[in-house]
Amino acid sequence: MIETSLKTQTGTGVAAPAPPLVVEHVAKSYELDGGGIVPVIGDLSLTLREGEIVSIVGPSGCGKTTLLNTLCGLLAPDAGRIRWHGREVAGQPQNVGYMLQKDLLLPWRTALGNTMLGLEIRGMPWAQAEDRCRAMLDQLGLHGFADHYPTTLSGGMRQRVALARTLVNEPDVLLLDEPFAALDFQSKLLIENDTVGLVRQGRRSLLLITHDIEEAVSLADRVIVLSKRPTQIKAVYDIALGADRHDVISVRQAPGFSDHVRSIWADLDVVLQ
Amino acid sequence: MTADVDAAPASSAAAQTTIGPARPMTSQGRRWLRLRSTLAVLVTQLVVLAGFLAFWEFMTGQNKAAAFMFGSPSAIFKFLSQMVYDGSLWRDTSVTGLETLLGFFVGNCIGTLIGLSLWYSRFVSRVVEPFVIALGSIPIIALAPIIIIWFGTGLISKVAMSTLSVVIVALVTSYKGATGVDPDQINLLRTLGASKFQIFRKLVVPASLADIFAGLKLTVGFALIGAIVGEFMSSSEGLGHAIFKAGSLYIIPKVFAALVATIALALLLTFAVGKIEQLLMPWRRQQR
Ligand SMILES: Nc1ncnc2c1ncn2[C@@H]1O[C@H](COP(=O)(O)OP(=O)(O)OP(=O)(O)O)[C@@H](O)[C@H]1O
Ligand SMILES: [Mg+2]
Repeated sequence: MIETSLKTQTGTGVAAPAPPLVVEHVAKSYELDGGGIVPVIGDLSLTLREGEIVSIVGPSGCGKTTLLNTLCGLLAPDAGRIRWHGREVAGQPQNVGYMLQKDLLLPWRTALGNTMLGLEIRGMPWAQAEDRCRAMLDQLGLHGFADHYPTTLSGGMRQRVALARTLVNEPDVLLLDEPFAALDFQSKLLIENDTVGLVRQGRRSLLLITHDIEEAVSLADRVIVLSKRPTQIKAVYDIALGADRHDVISVRQAPGFSDHVRSIWADLDVVLQ
Repeated sequence: MTADVDAAPASSAAAQTTIGPARPMTSQGRRWLRLRSTLAVLVTQLVVLAGFLAFWEFMTGQNKAAAFMFGSPSAIFKFLSQMVYDGSLWRDTSVTGLETLLGFFVGNCIGTLIGLSLWYSRFVSRVVEPFVIALGSIPIIALAPIIIIWFGTGLISKVAMSTLSVVIVALVTSYKGATGVDPDQINLLRTLGASKFQIFRKLVVPASLADIFAGLKLTVGFALIGAIVGEFMSSSEGLGHAIFKAGSLYIIPKVFAALVATIALALLLTFAVGKIEQLLMPWRRQQR
Protein backbone atom coordinates (compact mmCIF):
# COMPACT_ATOMS: atom_id res chain seq x y z
CA MET A 1 0.00 0.00 0.00
CA ILE A 2 2.73 2.45 1.01
CA GLU A 3 4.82 1.27 -1.86
CA THR A 4 2.05 1.90 -4.36
CA SER A 5 1.36 5.38 -3.19
CA LEU A 6 5.03 6.26 -3.38
CA LYS A 7 5.16 5.11 -6.97
CA THR A 8 2.16 7.21 -7.79
CA GLN A 9 3.77 10.27 -6.34
CA THR A 10 7.10 9.94 -8.05
CA GLY A 11 5.81 8.24 -11.14
CA THR A 12 9.23 6.72 -11.83
CA GLY A 13 8.63 3.21 -10.57
CA VAL A 14 9.27 0.29 -12.87
CA ALA A 15 5.80 -1.10 -12.27
CA ALA A 16 2.86 0.74 -13.76
CA PRO A 17 1.41 3.47 -11.53
CA ALA A 18 -1.72 2.63 -9.59
CA PRO A 19 -4.87 2.78 -11.67
CA PRO A 20 -6.98 5.92 -11.21
CA LEU A 21 -9.76 4.07 -9.43
CA VAL A 22 -9.84 0.75 -7.62
CA VAL A 23 -12.99 -0.38 -5.83
CA GLU A 24 -12.70 -3.37 -3.50
CA HIS A 25 -15.69 -5.14 -1.97
CA VAL A 26 -17.78 -2.03 -1.48
CA ALA A 27 -21.17 -2.44 0.17
CA LYS A 28 -23.78 0.21 0.84
CA SER A 29 -27.25 0.19 2.31
CA TYR A 30 -29.77 2.86 3.20
CA GLU A 31 -31.46 3.15 6.54
CA LEU A 32 -35.13 3.86 6.23
CA ASP A 33 -36.92 6.28 8.53
CA GLY A 34 -39.00 3.43 9.86
CA GLY A 35 -35.82 1.65 10.98
CA GLY A 36 -35.57 -0.86 8.15
CA ILE A 37 -32.42 -1.30 6.11
CA VAL A 38 -32.31 -1.48 2.33
CA PRO A 39 -29.16 -3.19 1.10
CA VAL A 40 -28.37 -1.52 -2.22
CA ILE A 41 -24.83 -2.47 -3.15
CA GLY A 42 -24.07 -6.07 -2.17
CA ASP A 43 -20.39 -6.58 -2.82
CA LEU A 44 -18.77 -4.80 -5.68
CA SER A 45 -15.21 -4.60 -6.94
CA LEU A 46 -13.95 -2.96 -10.09
CA THR A 47 -10.91 -1.24 -11.52
CA LEU A 48 -10.83 1.72 -13.85
CA ARG A 49 -7.53 1.96 -15.70
CA GLU A 50 -5.92 5.04 -17.14
CA GLY A 51 -7.45 6.09 -20.45
CA GLU A 52 -10.17 3.51 -20.15
CA ILE A 53 -13.89 4.01 -20.72
CA VAL A 54 -16.11 1.68 -18.70
CA SER A 55 -19.90 1.64 -18.99
CA ILE A 56 -22.15 0.36 -16.27
CA VAL A 57 -25.62 -0.89 -17.09
CA GLY A 58 -28.14 -2.46 -14.77
CA PRO A 59 -31.81 -2.66 -13.98
CA SER A 60 -33.53 0.50 -12.80
CA GLY A 61 -33.17 1.01 -9.07
CA CYS A 62 -30.28 -1.42 -8.71
CA GLY A 63 -28.05 1.20 -7.16
CA LYS A 64 -26.02 2.74 -9.98
CA THR A 65 -26.47 6.29 -8.76
CA THR A 66 -25.75 5.16 -5.23
CA LEU A 67 -22.53 3.58 -6.46
CA LEU A 68 -21.43 6.76 -8.19
CA ASN A 69 -22.21 8.93 -5.17
CA THR A 70 -20.28 6.52 -2.98
CA LEU A 71 -17.28 6.58 -5.30
CA CYS A 72 -16.99 10.34 -5.25
CA GLY A 73 -17.33 10.57 -1.50
CA LEU A 74 -20.85 11.99 -1.31
CA LEU A 75 -21.95 8.84 0.53
CA ALA A 76 -19.83 6.74 2.86
CA PRO A 77 -19.61 3.02 2.02
CA ASP A 78 -20.60 0.54 4.74
CA ALA A 79 -17.72 -1.73 3.85
CA GLY A 80 -14.90 -2.03 1.38
CA ARG A 81 -12.24 0.30 0.06
CA ILE A 82 -12.17 2.91 -2.64
CA ARG A 83 -8.72 3.95 -3.80
CA TRP A 84 -8.04 6.86 -6.10
CA HIS A 85 -4.60 6.61 -7.67
CA GLY A 86 -3.72 4.08 -5.00
CA ARG A 87 -4.86 6.15 -2.04
CA GLU A 88 -7.96 6.18 0.07
CA VAL A 89 -9.24 9.72 0.45
CA ALA A 90 -11.45 11.25 3.07
CA GLY A 91 -14.20 13.38 1.57
CA GLN A 92 -14.22 14.27 -2.11
CA PRO A 93 -11.43 12.99 -4.34
CA GLN A 94 -9.59 15.61 -6.38
CA ASN A 95 -9.56 15.78 -10.15
CA VAL A 96 -12.79 13.89 -10.52
CA GLY A 97 -15.54 15.24 -12.75
CA TYR A 98 -19.13 14.44 -11.90
CA MET A 99 -22.11 14.93 -14.13
CA LEU A 100 -25.74 13.90 -13.95
CA GLN A 101 -28.73 13.68 -16.23
CA LYS A 102 -29.89 16.98 -14.75
CA ASP A 103 -27.55 19.65 -16.07
CA LEU A 104 -27.63 21.46 -12.70
CA LEU A 105 -26.73 24.76 -14.31
CA LEU A 106 -27.09 27.74 -12.00
CA PRO A 107 -29.78 29.93 -13.57
CA TRP A 108 -28.16 33.15 -12.35
CA ARG A 109 -24.92 32.43 -14.14
CA THR A 110 -24.35 32.62 -17.87
CA ALA A 111 -22.97 29.64 -19.79
CA LEU A 112 -19.51 31.09 -19.17
CA GLY A 113 -20.21 31.71 -15.49
CA ASN A 114 -21.41 28.14 -15.04
CA THR A 115 -18.34 26.78 -16.79
CA MET A 116 -16.09 28.86 -14.53
CA LEU A 117 -17.58 27.45 -11.33
CA GLY A 118 -14.91 24.81 -10.68
CA LEU A 119 -11.94 27.04 -11.50
CA GLU A 120 -13.42 29.82 -9.40
CA ILE A 121 -13.74 27.48 -6.43
CA ARG A 122 -10.12 26.49 -6.84
CA GLY A 123 -9.17 30.14 -6.86
CA MET A 124 -7.76 30.43 -10.38
CA PRO A 125 -7.24 34.05 -11.47
CA TRP A 126 -10.31 35.31 -13.24
CA ALA A 127 -8.81 36.22 -16.60
CA GLN A 128 -7.02 32.91 -16.94
CA ALA A 129 -10.15 30.96 -15.96
CA GLU A 130 -12.24 32.93 -18.43
CA ASP A 131 -9.85 32.20 -21.30
CA ARG A 132 -9.87 28.51 -20.57
CA CYS A 133 -13.62 28.36 -20.23
CA ARG A 134 -14.27 30.27 -23.43
CA ALA A 135 -11.93 27.93 -25.28
CA MET A 136 -13.71 24.90 -23.81
CA LEU A 137 -17.14 26.26 -24.80
CA ASP A 138 -15.86 26.91 -28.32
CA GLN A 139 -14.51 23.39 -28.51
CA LEU A 140 -17.93 22.00 -27.58
CA GLY A 141 -19.65 24.01 -30.29
CA LEU A 142 -21.02 26.76 -28.08
CA HIS A 143 -19.18 29.61 -29.70
CA GLY A 144 -21.22 32.79 -29.31
CA PHE A 145 -23.36 31.41 -26.49
CA ALA A 146 -20.97 32.08 -23.62
CA ASP A 147 -22.94 35.05 -22.37
CA HIS A 148 -26.37 33.40 -22.59
CA TYR A 149 -28.29 32.44 -19.50
CA PRO A 150 -29.25 28.74 -19.27
CA THR A 151 -32.96 29.46 -19.75
CA THR A 152 -32.23 30.70 -23.25
CA LEU A 153 -30.37 27.53 -24.29
CA SER A 154 -31.76 24.27 -25.66
CA GLY A 155 -31.52 21.02 -23.67
CA GLY A 156 -28.60 19.79 -25.77
CA MET A 157 -26.75 23.07 -25.38
CA ARG A 158 -27.33 23.09 -21.64
CA GLN A 159 -25.89 19.59 -21.35
CA ARG A 160 -22.91 20.75 -23.38
CA VAL A 161 -22.37 23.59 -20.93
CA ALA A 162 -22.53 21.04 -18.10
CA LEU A 163 -19.94 18.97 -19.95
CA ALA A 164 -17.73 22.02 -20.41
CA ARG A 165 -18.07 22.80 -16.69
CA THR A 166 -16.87 19.25 -15.95
CA LEU A 167 -14.05 19.03 -18.52
CA VAL A 168 -12.56 22.48 -17.99
CA ASN A 169 -11.25 21.33 -14.60
CA GLU A 170 -9.20 18.71 -16.48
CA PRO A 171 -10.32 15.79 -14.35
CA ASP A 172 -8.35 12.52 -14.56
CA VAL A 173 -11.54 10.60 -14.06
CA LEU A 174 -15.07 11.39 -15.14
CA LEU A 175 -18.06 9.88 -13.39
CA LEU A 176 -21.14 10.37 -15.51
CA ASP A 177 -24.64 9.28 -14.49
CA GLU A 178 -26.90 8.97 -17.55
CA PRO A 179 -25.65 12.33 -18.79
CA PHE A 180 -27.27 12.11 -22.20
CA ALA A 181 -30.50 10.30 -21.29
CA ALA A 182 -32.71 13.34 -21.73
CA LEU A 183 -31.44 14.26 -25.19
CA ASP A 184 -32.84 13.47 -28.61
CA PHE A 185 -31.03 10.83 -30.62
CA GLN A 186 -29.15 13.22 -32.86
CA SER A 187 -27.87 15.56 -30.14
CA LYS A 188 -27.00 12.51 -28.11
CA LEU A 189 -24.79 11.01 -30.83
CA LEU A 190 -23.02 14.31 -31.40
CA ILE A 191 -22.36 15.04 -27.75
CA GLU A 192 -21.29 11.42 -27.13
CA ASN A 193 -18.80 11.78 -29.92
CA ASP A 194 -17.42 15.02 -28.50
CA THR A 195 -17.18 13.55 -25.02
CA VAL A 196 -15.34 10.44 -26.16
CA GLY A 197 -13.05 12.55 -28.30
CA LEU A 198 -12.07 14.81 -25.43
CA VAL A 199 -11.71 11.92 -22.98
CA ARG A 200 -9.52 9.82 -25.26
CA GLN A 201 -7.48 12.78 -26.43
CA GLY A 202 -6.66 13.75 -22.83
CA ARG A 203 -6.09 10.11 -21.79
CA ARG A 204 -8.71 10.54 -19.12
CA SER A 205 -10.72 7.68 -17.66
CA LEU A 206 -14.48 7.56 -17.82
CA LEU A 207 -17.05 5.65 -15.83
CA LEU A 208 -20.37 6.00 -17.59
CA ILE A 209 -23.68 4.89 -16.17
CA THR A 210 -26.38 4.47 -18.76
CA HIS A 211 -29.65 2.79 -19.57
CA ASP A 212 -28.88 2.82 -23.24
CA ILE A 213 -27.09 -0.43 -24.12
CA GLU A 214 -26.07 0.78 -27.57
CA GLU A 215 -24.54 3.85 -25.98
CA ALA A 216 -22.72 1.65 -23.47
CA VAL A 217 -21.26 -0.59 -26.19
CA SER A 218 -20.42 2.15 -28.66
CA LEU A 219 -18.50 4.26 -26.15
CA ALA A 220 -16.84 1.81 -23.81
CA ASP A 221 -13.83 -0.44 -23.75
CA ARG A 222 -15.60 -2.51 -21.14
CA VAL A 223 -19.25 -2.89 -20.14
CA ILE A 224 -20.17 -4.00 -16.65
CA VAL A 225 -23.63 -5.44 -16.14
CA LEU A 226 -25.04 -5.17 -12.64
CA SER A 227 -27.60 -7.46 -11.07
CA LYS A 228 -30.76 -6.44 -9.24
CA ARG A 229 -30.58 -5.04 -5.71
CA PRO A 230 -28.50 -5.79 -3.65
CA THR A 231 -26.33 -5.30 -6.65
CA GLN A 232 -23.30 -7.28 -7.71
CA ILE A 233 -21.43 -7.57 -10.95
CA LYS A 234 -23.32 -9.98 -13.15
CA ALA A 235 -21.16 -9.92 -16.25
CA VAL A 236 -18.28 -8.02 -17.79
CA TYR A 237 -17.81 -7.57 -21.53
CA ASP A 238 -14.62 -6.44 -23.16
CA ILE A 239 -15.64 -4.53 -26.21
CA ALA A 240 -12.99 -5.15 -28.85
CA LEU A 241 -14.54 -3.83 -31.99
CA GLY A 242 -11.30 -3.06 -33.74
CA ALA A 243 -12.78 0.11 -35.15
CA ASP A 244 -11.68 3.68 -34.55
CA ARG A 245 -12.82 4.18 -30.98
CA HIS A 246 -12.88 7.96 -31.37
CA ASP A 247 -15.92 7.71 -33.60
CA VAL A 248 -18.99 6.45 -31.77
CA ILE A 249 -21.12 6.63 -34.87
CA SER A 250 -19.15 4.35 -37.15
CA VAL A 251 -18.60 1.90 -34.31
CA ARG A 252 -22.28 1.15 -34.46
CA GLN A 253 -21.73 -0.38 -37.91
CA ALA A 254 -18.76 -2.51 -36.82
CA PRO A 255 -19.18 -6.28 -36.98
CA GLY A 256 -19.81 -7.62 -33.51
CA PHE A 257 -21.52 -4.48 -32.27
CA SER A 258 -25.00 -5.94 -32.36
CA ASP A 259 -23.82 -9.23 -30.86
CA HIS A 260 -22.60 -7.35 -27.82
CA VAL A 261 -25.83 -5.41 -27.58
CA ARG A 262 -27.85 -8.60 -27.81
CA SER A 263 -25.96 -10.50 -25.14
CA ILE A 264 -26.15 -7.56 -22.72
CA TRP A 265 -29.86 -7.36 -23.37
CA ALA A 266 -30.12 -11.00 -22.46
CA ASP A 267 -28.13 -10.42 -19.26
CA LEU A 268 -30.43 -7.66 -18.15
CA ASP A 269 -33.38 -10.07 -18.14
CA VAL A 270 -35.71 -7.44 -19.41
CA VAL A 271 -39.11 -9.01 -19.48
CA LEU A 272 -40.99 -7.46 -22.32
CA GLN A 273 -44.71 -6.81 -22.23
CA MET B 1 -57.67 53.40 -27.30
CA THR B 2 -59.19 51.38 -30.13
CA ALA B 3 -58.22 53.98 -32.68
CA ASP B 4 -54.78 53.97 -31.20
CA VAL B 5 -54.47 50.22 -31.70
CA ASP B 6 -55.71 50.33 -35.27
CA ALA B 7 -53.24 53.00 -36.19
CA ALA B 8 -50.36 51.06 -34.65
CA PRO B 9 -47.46 50.82 -37.10
CA ALA B 10 -46.47 47.30 -35.97
CA SER B 11 -49.95 45.86 -36.18
CA SER B 12 -49.07 44.91 -39.74
CA ALA B 13 -46.85 42.21 -38.27
CA ALA B 14 -49.62 40.88 -36.08
CA ALA B 15 -52.49 41.12 -38.52
CA GLN B 16 -51.36 39.61 -41.80
CA THR B 17 -54.46 39.10 -43.80
CA THR B 18 -52.76 38.75 -47.16
CA ILE B 19 -51.35 35.35 -48.00
CA GLY B 20 -47.60 35.29 -48.23
CA PRO B 21 -44.50 34.13 -46.44
CA ALA B 22 -44.69 34.91 -42.73
CA ARG B 23 -42.47 37.83 -41.95
CA PRO B 24 -40.26 37.43 -38.88
CA MET B 25 -41.35 39.80 -36.17
CA THR B 26 -38.95 42.64 -35.52
CA SER B 27 -37.79 43.27 -31.97
CA GLN B 28 -39.41 46.67 -32.28
CA GLY B 29 -42.66 44.97 -33.16
CA ARG B 30 -42.39 42.70 -30.15
CA ARG B 31 -41.68 45.61 -27.86
CA TRP B 32 -44.71 47.41 -29.23
CA LEU B 33 -46.93 44.38 -28.66
CA ARG B 34 -45.74 44.09 -25.08
CA LEU B 35 -46.27 47.79 -24.49
CA ARG B 36 -49.73 47.52 -25.96
CA SER B 37 -50.78 44.74 -23.60
CA THR B 38 -49.36 46.65 -20.61
CA LEU B 39 -51.30 49.68 -21.77
CA ALA B 40 -54.50 47.67 -22.08
CA VAL B 41 -54.11 46.46 -18.48
CA LEU B 42 -53.44 49.97 -17.26
CA VAL B 43 -56.42 51.46 -19.08
CA THR B 44 -58.74 48.74 -17.72
CA GLN B 45 -57.48 49.43 -14.20
CA LEU B 46 -58.14 53.15 -14.60
CA VAL B 47 -61.63 52.50 -15.96
CA VAL B 48 -62.48 50.25 -13.00
CA LEU B 49 -61.14 52.82 -10.54
CA ALA B 50 -63.00 55.69 -12.22
CA GLY B 51 -66.22 53.68 -12.24
CA PHE B 52 -65.84 52.92 -8.55
CA LEU B 53 -65.16 56.56 -7.67
CA ALA B 54 -68.10 57.75 -9.79
CA PHE B 55 -70.42 55.26 -8.06
CA TRP B 56 -69.16 56.40 -4.64
CA GLU B 57 -69.58 60.07 -5.51
CA PHE B 58 -73.05 59.50 -6.90
CA MET B 59 -74.33 57.47 -3.92
CA THR B 60 -73.00 59.90 -1.31
CA GLY B 61 -74.17 62.91 -3.30
CA GLN B 62 -77.78 61.76 -2.85
CA ASN B 63 -77.70 61.48 0.90
CA LYS B 64 -76.19 63.70 3.59
CA ALA B 65 -75.95 60.91 6.16
CA ALA B 66 -74.14 58.65 3.72
CA ALA B 67 -71.76 61.49 2.87
CA PHE B 68 -70.93 61.83 6.54
CA MET B 69 -70.49 58.11 7.09
CA PHE B 70 -68.57 57.24 3.96
CA GLY B 71 -67.03 60.49 2.82
CA SER B 72 -66.93 61.14 -0.90
CA PRO B 73 -64.18 61.30 -3.50
CA SER B 74 -64.63 65.05 -3.93
CA ALA B 75 -64.45 65.65 -0.16
CA ILE B 76 -61.37 63.42 0.07
CA PHE B 77 -59.79 65.38 -2.73
CA LYS B 78 -60.62 68.64 -0.95
CA PHE B 79 -58.87 67.42 2.21
CA LEU B 80 -55.93 66.11 0.23
CA SER B 81 -55.35 69.47 -1.44
CA GLN B 82 -55.76 71.23 1.88
CA MET B 83 -53.15 68.86 3.42
CA VAL B 84 -50.82 69.56 0.53
CA TYR B 85 -51.39 73.26 0.99
CA ASP B 86 -50.64 73.36 4.74
CA GLY B 87 -47.66 71.00 4.28
CA SER B 88 -49.01 68.32 6.62
CA LEU B 89 -49.37 65.73 3.85
CA TRP B 90 -45.70 65.84 2.98
CA ARG B 91 -44.64 65.97 6.63
CA ASP B 92 -46.83 63.06 7.76
CA THR B 93 -46.00 60.95 4.72
CA SER B 94 -42.27 61.50 5.06
CA VAL B 95 -42.34 60.72 8.79
CA THR B 96 -44.24 57.47 8.25
CA GLY B 97 -42.16 56.73 5.17
CA LEU B 98 -38.94 57.05 7.13
CA GLU B 99 -40.20 54.85 9.96
CA THR B 100 -41.41 52.24 7.49
CA LEU B 101 -38.23 52.28 5.48
CA LEU B 102 -36.02 51.93 8.54
CA GLY B 103 -38.15 49.15 10.00
CA PHE B 104 -38.32 47.41 6.63
CA PHE B 105 -34.56 47.62 6.19
CA VAL B 106 -33.54 46.61 9.70
CA GLY B 107 -36.18 43.88 9.98
CA ASN B 108 -35.31 42.34 6.63
CA CYS B 109 -31.56 42.53 7.23
CA ILE B 110 -31.80 40.82 10.60
CA GLY B 111 -34.43 38.29 9.49
CA THR B 112 -32.69 37.36 6.25
CA LEU B 113 -29.29 37.12 7.90
CA ILE B 114 -30.60 34.76 10.57
CA GLY B 115 -32.77 32.82 8.13
CA LEU B 116 -29.89 32.22 5.72
CA SER B 117 -27.34 31.40 8.38
CA LEU B 118 -29.69 28.82 9.89
CA TRP B 119 -28.90 26.82 6.73
CA TYR B 120 -25.43 26.32 8.17
CA SER B 121 -26.50 24.15 11.05
CA ARG B 122 -29.35 21.70 11.07
CA PHE B 123 -28.86 21.46 14.84
CA VAL B 124 -29.24 25.16 15.51
CA SER B 125 -32.22 25.46 13.20
CA ARG B 126 -33.99 22.62 15.01
CA VAL B 127 -33.28 24.28 18.34
CA VAL B 128 -34.56 27.63 17.11
CA GLU B 129 -37.66 26.43 15.26
CA PRO B 130 -40.23 26.38 18.12
CA PHE B 131 -39.06 29.79 19.31
CA VAL B 132 -39.53 31.24 15.86
CA ILE B 133 -43.03 29.82 15.65
CA ALA B 134 -43.84 31.18 19.11
CA LEU B 135 -42.53 34.65 18.27
CA GLY B 136 -44.31 34.62 14.93
CA SER B 137 -47.65 34.00 16.58
CA ILE B 138 -47.47 37.08 18.84
CA PRO B 139 -49.73 39.85 17.53
CA ILE B 140 -47.34 42.77 17.21
CA ILE B 141 -49.94 45.23 18.41
CA ALA B 142 -49.87 43.51 21.79
CA LEU B 143 -46.23 44.55 22.12
CA ALA B 144 -46.89 48.22 21.39
CA PRO B 145 -47.33 49.36 25.01
CA ILE B 146 -44.08 47.65 26.05
CA ILE B 147 -42.24 49.05 23.06
CA ILE B 148 -43.31 52.55 24.04
CA ILE B 149 -42.12 51.99 27.60
CA TRP B 150 -38.79 50.73 26.32
CA PHE B 151 -38.15 53.06 23.42
CA GLY B 152 -40.21 56.16 24.21
CA THR B 153 -42.71 57.85 21.96
CA GLY B 154 -40.35 59.06 19.25
CA LEU B 155 -39.07 57.63 15.98
CA ILE B 156 -37.30 54.65 17.56
CA SER B 157 -40.43 53.05 18.96
CA LYS B 158 -42.17 53.14 15.56
CA VAL B 159 -39.11 51.73 13.84
CA ALA B 160 -39.04 48.98 16.47
CA MET B 161 -42.71 48.16 15.83
CA SER B 162 -42.09 48.10 12.10
CA THR B 163 -38.98 45.94 12.50
CA LEU B 164 -40.82 43.45 14.67
CA SER B 165 -43.62 43.16 12.12
CA VAL B 166 -41.11 42.29 9.43
CA VAL B 167 -38.38 40.23 11.02
CA ILE B 168 -40.10 36.84 11.48
CA VAL B 169 -41.54 36.81 7.96
CA ALA B 170 -38.14 37.69 6.52
CA LEU B 171 -36.51 34.96 8.60
CA VAL B 172 -38.98 32.28 7.57
CA THR B 173 -38.99 33.11 3.84
CA SER B 174 -35.20 33.27 3.58
CA TYR B 175 -34.78 30.05 5.58
CA LYS B 176 -37.28 28.35 3.30
CA GLY B 177 -35.30 29.58 0.31
CA ALA B 178 -32.00 28.37 1.74
CA THR B 179 -33.24 24.90 2.64
CA GLY B 180 -35.05 24.52 -0.67
CA VAL B 181 -31.78 24.34 -2.63
CA ASP B 182 -31.53 21.21 -4.80
CA PRO B 183 -29.31 18.69 -2.93
CA ASP B 184 -27.88 17.53 -6.26
CA GLN B 185 -26.65 21.05 -6.83
CA ILE B 186 -24.97 21.03 -3.42
CA ASN B 187 -23.37 17.67 -4.28
CA LEU B 188 -22.12 19.08 -7.56
CA LEU B 189 -20.39 21.94 -5.79
CA ARG B 190 -18.91 19.51 -3.29
CA THR B 191 -17.41 17.42 -6.08
CA LEU B 192 -15.95 20.61 -7.50
CA GLY B 193 -14.18 20.98 -4.16
CA ALA B 194 -16.25 23.78 -2.68
CA SER B 195 -16.05 24.50 1.04
CA LYS B 196 -19.23 24.96 3.03
CA PHE B 197 -18.80 28.73 2.88
CA GLN B 198 -18.32 28.61 -0.89
CA ILE B 199 -21.48 26.54 -1.24
CA PHE B 200 -23.26 29.13 0.88
CA ARG B 201 -22.00 32.09 -1.08
CA LYS B 202 -22.11 30.74 -4.62
CA LEU B 203 -25.22 28.59 -4.36
CA VAL B 204 -27.40 29.04 -1.29
CA VAL B 205 -27.53 32.84 -1.23
CA PRO B 206 -28.28 33.40 -4.92
CA ALA B 207 -30.70 30.46 -5.00
CA SER B 208 -32.60 32.02 -2.10
CA LEU B 209 -32.92 35.42 -3.76
CA ALA B 210 -36.29 34.62 -5.32
CA ASP B 211 -37.75 33.69 -1.92
CA ILE B 212 -36.05 36.65 -0.24
CA PHE B 213 -37.64 39.04 -2.71
CA ALA B 214 -41.03 37.41 -2.28
CA GLY B 215 -40.55 38.11 1.42
CA LEU B 216 -39.49 41.71 0.74
CA LYS B 217 -42.65 42.38 -1.26
CA LEU B 218 -44.78 40.84 1.46
CA THR B 219 -43.09 42.79 4.25
CA VAL B 220 -43.53 46.24 2.66
CA GLY B 221 -47.11 46.10 3.88
CA PHE B 222 -46.16 44.67 7.27
CA ALA B 223 -43.55 47.37 7.85
CA LEU B 224 -46.11 50.04 7.06
CA ILE B 225 -48.70 48.49 9.36
CA GLY B 226 -46.12 48.30 12.15
CA ALA B 227 -45.24 51.96 11.80
CA ILE B 228 -48.86 53.08 11.68
CA VAL B 229 -49.88 50.96 14.67
CA GLY B 230 -46.95 52.52 16.53
CA GLU B 231 -48.26 55.96 15.62
CA PHE B 232 -51.75 55.02 16.78
CA MET B 233 -50.38 54.31 20.23
CA SER B 234 -48.69 57.63 20.75
CA SER B 235 -47.35 60.16 18.32
CA SER B 236 -47.45 63.76 17.27
CA GLU B 237 -47.00 63.29 13.55
CA GLY B 238 -47.20 60.71 10.78
CA LEU B 239 -50.01 59.25 8.70
CA GLY B 240 -51.14 56.99 11.54
CA HIS B 241 -51.38 60.02 13.77
CA ALA B 242 -53.41 61.87 11.10
CA ILE B 243 -55.76 58.91 10.65
CA PHE B 244 -56.22 58.52 14.39
CA LYS B 245 -56.90 62.19 14.97
CA ALA B 246 -59.30 62.60 12.08
CA GLY B 247 -61.08 59.41 13.08
CA SER B 248 -61.60 60.46 16.66
CA LEU B 249 -63.04 63.77 15.39
CA TYR B 250 -65.36 61.90 12.94
CA ILE B 251 -63.81 63.65 9.91
CA ILE B 252 -64.15 60.60 7.71
CA PRO B 253 -63.00 62.11 4.38
CA LYS B 254 -59.80 63.16 6.10
CA VAL B 255 -59.26 59.59 7.30
CA PHE B 256 -59.60 58.48 3.69
CA ALA B 257 -57.29 61.24 2.51
CA ALA B 258 -54.57 59.98 4.86
CA LEU B 259 -55.31 56.43 3.71
CA VAL B 260 -54.78 57.49 0.10
CA ALA B 261 -51.35 58.77 1.08
CA THR B 262 -50.67 55.48 2.91
CA ILE B 263 -51.62 53.45 -0.14
CA ALA B 264 -49.46 55.64 -2.37
CA LEU B 265 -46.54 55.05 0.00
CA ALA B 266 -47.06 51.28 -0.08
CA LEU B 267 -47.27 51.27 -3.88
CA LEU B 268 -44.12 53.35 -4.17
CA LEU B 269 -42.15 51.03 -1.87
CA THR B 270 -43.41 47.90 -3.64
CA PHE B 271 -42.46 49.40 -6.98
CA ALA B 272 -38.96 50.20 -5.67
CA VAL B 273 -38.52 46.62 -4.41
CA GLY B 274 -39.60 45.30 -7.81
CA LYS B 275 -37.05 47.51 -9.56
CA ILE B 276 -34.27 46.37 -7.23
CA GLU B 277 -35.29 42.76 -7.87
CA GLN B 278 -34.98 43.29 -11.61
CA LEU B 279 -31.55 44.84 -11.12
CA LEU B 280 -30.29 42.06 -8.86
CA MET B 281 -31.78 39.17 -10.83
CA PRO B 282 -31.15 40.00 -14.48
CA TRP B 283 -31.38 36.33 -15.51
CA ARG B 284 -35.09 36.44 -14.74
CA ARG B 285 -35.61 39.32 -17.10
CA GLN B 286 -33.95 37.55 -20.01
CA GLN B 287 -36.26 34.62 -19.41
CA ARG B 288 -39.29 36.46 -20.66
N1 LIG C 1 -31.76 8.32 0.20
C1 LIG C 1 -32.29 7.09 0.07
N2 LIG C 1 -32.88 6.50 1.11
C2 LIG C 1 -33.42 5.27 1.01
N3 LIG C 1 -33.40 4.54 -0.12
C3 LIG C 1 -32.82 5.07 -1.21
C4 LIG C 1 -32.23 6.37 -1.17
N4 LIG C 1 -31.73 6.65 -2.40
C5 LIG C 1 -32.01 5.57 -3.15
N5 LIG C 1 -32.64 4.62 -2.45
C6 LIG C 1 -33.05 3.29 -2.94
O1 LIG C 1 -31.88 2.64 -3.35
C7 LIG C 1 -32.10 1.95 -4.56
C8 LIG C 1 -31.07 2.34 -5.57
O2 LIG C 1 -31.24 3.69 -5.95
P1 LIG C 1 -30.36 4.35 -7.09
O3 LIG C 1 -30.85 5.73 -7.30
O4 LIG C 1 -28.95 4.19 -6.74
O5 LIG C 1 -30.73 3.42 -8.33
P2 LIG C 1 -30.29 3.55 -9.85
O6 LIG C 1 -29.69 2.27 -10.24
O7 LIG C 1 -29.48 4.77 -10.06
O8 LIG C 1 -31.70 3.70 -10.54
P3 LIG C 1 -32.04 4.37 -11.93
O9 LIG C 1 -31.50 3.47 -12.97
O10 LIG C 1 -33.52 4.41 -11.96
O11 LIG C 1 -31.40 5.73 -11.94
C9 LIG C 1 -33.52 2.25 -4.98
O12 LIG C 1 -34.30 1.14 -4.69
C10 LIG C 1 -33.92 3.41 -4.14
O13 LIG C 1 -35.27 3.28 -3.78
MG1 LIG D 1 -29.82 6.57 -11.15
